[in-house]
Amino acid sequence: MSVFAESWAVRAYVAVAAVGVAAPLIGSFLVQRRLALIGDGIGHLAFAGVAIGTALAFAPVWGALATAVVGALVLERLRTAGRIAGDLALALVFYGALALAVVLLTASHRFDSSALGVLFGNVLTTSWGDIVVATSLCAVVVAVIVPFYRQLLAVALDEDTARAAGMPVDALNLLTVALTAILVAAGMRVVGLLLVASLLVIPVAAGSRLAHSFRDTVAWGVALGVMSGLGGLLIALAQGTLAPSGTIVLTAILAFVCAAFAGRRAARRHPRSSS
Amino acid sequence: MQLTVELSAVRFSYGASPVLDGADLEIRAGEFVVLAGHNGSGKSTVLKVCLGLLRAQAGSVRVLGGSPWDATVRRRVGYAPQGLRVVTSIPVSVGEVVTAGLTPTTPTWHRGGSDDGIRVRSALGAVGMEDLARECLFELSGGQQQRAILARALVADPPLLLLDEPTTGIDQSLRPRLAAELRARADAGATVLAVSHDPDDFHAVLDRIIVISDGTIRQMTHEQFHAHFEVS
Repeated sequence: MSVFAESWAVRAYVAVAAVGVAAPLIGSFLVQRRLALIGDGIGHLAFAGVAIGTALAFAPVWGALATAVVGALVLERLRTAGRIAGDLALALVFYGALALAVVLLTASHRFDSSALGVLFGNVLTTSWGDIVVATSLCAVVVAVIVPFYRQLLAVALDEDTARAAGMPVDALNLLTVALTAILVAAGMRVVGLLLVASLLVIPVAAGSRLAHSFRDTVAWGVALGVMSGLGGLLIALAQGTLAPSGTIVLTAILAFVCAAFAGRRAARRHPRSSS
Repeated sequence: MQLTVELSAVRFSYGASPVLDGADLEIRAGEFVVLAGHNGSGKSTVLKVCLGLLRAQAGSVRVLGGSPWDATVRRRVGYAPQGLRVVTSIPVSVGEVVTAGLTPTTPTWHRGGSDDGIRVRSALGAVGMEDLARECLFELSGGQQQRAILARALVADPPLLLLDEPTTGIDQSLRPRLAAELRARADAGATVLAVSHDPDDFHAVLDRIIVISDGTIRQMTHEQFHAHFEVS
């Protein structure tokens, strides 16, 4: 049987496709709100959650999910309350969560190659149980964004005007970071906690070079997210020794470069001059 | 006519010196009022207090018969800020920006439809942009972007319009059309409060000019306004 048709390869296709759809969907709102790096901060939080889960002997993905969601909500509340600057909050989370994870993993004698798998993913060793969890979490992200799409877009376009119009801006912002945390936990086994944020941002950035509207950017982002994921995975499978997480992200970056080039060629028109 | 904007002895300051110091204002349904004043006099602050974006430190504020902090009241207010507040690398179409003006008054599960499309086209038509719904906002001129923001405020046909320098960047030849559109809204029963450093844009259609100076609000005729500002 071809390596491309092995059952573990099929499981990887499913996981990569699920994350490829969900990540740009939520990532579009993050990029629009200039929160492109928040996925990184939440990834670090999730790593601390993995360590807590390991120390308490429950599945790493649940520790990652719980810590990422709770931490992301606290972070957002601190940011909106003005008690802490956005970049300072992220920096504290970056370093604090990483340090906590290292301390907990070393204390429980689990600071080994499995930690590397959490940070950089290992999609070829996923079980069907892992796939069910990852795709379910991605499905939650999609299922929530679809009905709230218009509200999330109105807030992302102009937060002050949305607030003035009586929209529940704070609750929608909390929803956005909570969904980001869920996506980060879903992508842990696929591309790892350090690289999952790239799938939130890079396909969206690529899509924005090809589109003329937010909706088209989301559509391009999802298409490029899936194509980058599957393309990078196929490259890793064909080569045989490369880590899929790296090839997936590098394929996404290649897609961005191609989109930027294509977009520049297509946009050789000047802004309108009439007022 | 029913009072739609009521400010009584309102005080607000960003620092030590108050921007609003005992400001009183009453506007009735169907009135078209221009709020004028020098730069930094507090014109935009009055709007933000009425919108509930800023909380008055003293005095009382009532909008459409309720509190500006009440979400059900806010949903009935159309607000056009001065200039584009969106800074992003993601393209956004004019139609998407204007449709966002319908979002606060539509249910979460509402997917949009032909009715929304008609309202968006109507609002764009009111500002002379009926053919630009699919264009990317950031590829348009500053004046066209300002008109799109105005269309977003108009699209839900709100009973109160709070507009901050609505003609900024817009070509002189288009301003009478926009002024006539706002007059028509007022004649249909809406209240229009437009902040403008140049009330001449609305001279032919407005009901009153009110001027904010030294933290208080005074009413002036067009002639008094020019005499005051030419002297000062």
